[in-house]
Amino acid sequence: MALPRRHAIQVVALVILLFFTAFFFVPMIWLFLAPTKTDGQLLTQSPFAFGSFHTLAQTFHRVVTYSGHSVLTWLKNSAIYSFGGTALAVVAAIPAGYGLALTQFIGRRLLLSITLVVMIMPATALVLPLFLEINKLGLYGTIWSLILPFGFFPFGVYLAYIYFSSTIPRDLLAAARIDGAGEWAVFRYIALPLARPIVSLVGFFAFVASWNNFFLPFVMTYDSSQYPLQVGLQQLIGSTASFNPANFSAGSSIVVLHRPDLAMAVIVAIAPVLIVFLFAQRALVSGMLAGATKE
Amino acid sequence: MATVTFDGATRIYPKTEQAAVDALDLEVDDGELLVLVGPSGCGKTTTLRMLAGLEHVDEGSIRIDGKDVVDLAPRDRDIAMVFQNYALYPHMNVAQNMGFALRMAGVAKAEIDERVRAAAKILEIEGYLERKPRQLSGGQRQRVAMGRAIVRQPRVFLMDEPLSNLDAKLRVATRAEIAALQRNLGVTTLYVTHDQVEAMTMGDRVAVMKDGLLQQCDTPRVLYEDPVNAFVAGFIGSPPMNLVAGVVESGGVRLGSTLLRVADGVPSPPGAAVTVGLRPESLFLAPAAEGIPATVSIVEELGAEAFVYAQLVSATGAGNGLNVKGNIIARVEPSTAPRNGEVIHLGVKEGSLLFFDAESGDRIRRRGE
Repeated sequence: MALPRRHAIQVVALVILLFFTAFFFVPMIWLFLAPTKTDGQLLTQSPFAFGSFHTLAQTFHRVVTYSGHSVLTWLKNSAIYSFGGTALAVVAAIPAGYGLALTQFIGRRLLLSITLVVMIMPATALVLPLFLEINKLGLYGTIWSLILPFGFFPFGVYLAYIYFSSTIPRDLLAAARIDGAGEWAVFRYIALPLARPIVSLVGFFAFVASWNNFFLPFVMTYDSSQYPLQVGLQQLIGSTASFNPANFSAGSSIVVLHRPDLAMAVIVAIAPVLIVFLFAQRALVSGMLAGATKE
Repeated sequence: MATVTFDGATRIYPKTEQAAVDALDLEVDDGELLVLVGPSGCGKTTTLRMLAGLEHVDEGSIRIDGKDVVDLAPRDRDIAMVFQNYALYPHMNVAQNMGFALRMAGVAKAEIDERVRAAAKILEIEGYLERKPRQLSGGQRQRVAMGRAIVRQPRVFLMDEPLSNLDAKLRVATRAEIAALQRNLGVTTLYVTHDQVEAMTMGDRVAVMKDGLLQQCDTPRVLYEDPVNAFVAGFIGSPPMNLVAGVVESGGVRLGSTLLRVADGVPSPPGAAVTVGLRPESLFLAPAAEGIPATVSIVEELGAEAFVYAQLVSATGAGNGLNVKGNIIARVEPSTAPRNGEVIHLGVKEGSLLFFDAESGDRIRRRGE
């Protein structure tokens, strides 16, 4: 009796897993297939039908050339904001996590608690006060209005803190101190080289968070030429005929986009994150596994 | 070359009452290898870390060559330390590990290479200079850790249980090598271990610690023959000294129901409760009706000798909680080893008995001893 019952459980488990796999994969497949079809085909054909490469090329061309190559400008803006913010976040988070984990100073516990609190605070809650602050500093409309806030990344501090406190033996730092290293040298020559995985991990998360942020750049930028891609996508939706029928009476001069173009734009928007992930993958995995094995 | 002086050095960890190291007074002579030994938690490692500058000194002072170093950072003390887990820098190869201190000191690269090579030659690790620590065996890592210390030519070596991660055979071989190396280099060395055999075989002098207090510091022979208290007597020696509760009577000491005659006299008045110390090698198998009767529990045959673990027949339990059950260990010739369960009689070699106060554990000495 035992064997058939075990089989039954396995079958049920398999069915559940297949359901969820399909549930999450179908939208992705649809998204990647959508740009190969025309707007009409998108409605009439099967969701999994492949249109044609010709249509794909046309869609791509339409998206890229939209409004004087705006998408490329937005991509460039996104890259500047995200890489700038990421660099700042890493430069701040890694030493901060190190300090919290491996040094003793007054207020250490308080700082750690504050880090945790701001980490769980929704970033959107800070957008208005940030806007006012940036305005007062005269940075509104500059790249710093985004790079500076993106550089504030308490989650990265927390990750670095966990990493340093769990994977770097205290004796290693003691050995370096005895070997004549000052506090900066201990960090520079011992802790930092050993922190390579966590640098990648913090960098990756900071990059994704900055890249995907919509609301902050939506508030901080006022001109299409400053938009990052996420805000640009919003404008694309505004240019899509089927979502705004009233705007597009016949003979209107505005460039009309269609749903497949929007899907294409979304793919363009997520591609950089995928590429960064592929490059950082090895370091990321080792970062996430850090501490699991004993040296 | 340097002398090290602990002068009332005290360390009290935050949020604790008892001092981890309590008013330690200790002198380490120039070129000497002094071993700190004691059970875990006795403060020996804390002592070492205080000297290294890794642990705060709450009271008293520590001097190297007469100069107070308490307020100096570890980097400014000119000491090298070998850690229990070696603490090799995992991202650097062996040569970089060994040369790190010189690099920090701003020594020219050519000289670093030369000195690393020289040290590697002494330790026979020249073939591994390009390897990372994780590619080395435990014994090789241990050598690299030693190499990292000697490359620097420091004033003082500190070693914190450097052999405890090695297997038994390698440990014996390495401890002789370290002792020989230390004598060749002539660098003042403080060596921490919980293993009294290591302490006895390596140390010029051995300092025995317990509960943060220095018990006795002397040469291995003096510690063995002339311990100041029951703790040192029981700690030094393998197997340890037997400590049995007794009551002084005229002409001897009563252990349970047996009166053990003591020819050279007992240093306490009749009626006094004492702890009697008997080395396993001071005991011998005596004819029946002589000596102390005991029931054999286990016999350990080691080839050249045999150890008999026995239970005193008339034991009353001993003081200091050191030997409550009346167990006694005797060294005997393998050929005469008794069988398990057998009742034997143990004689005591003349002049080998030590007496300790049953309460304090302090040694009670005979006149002139």
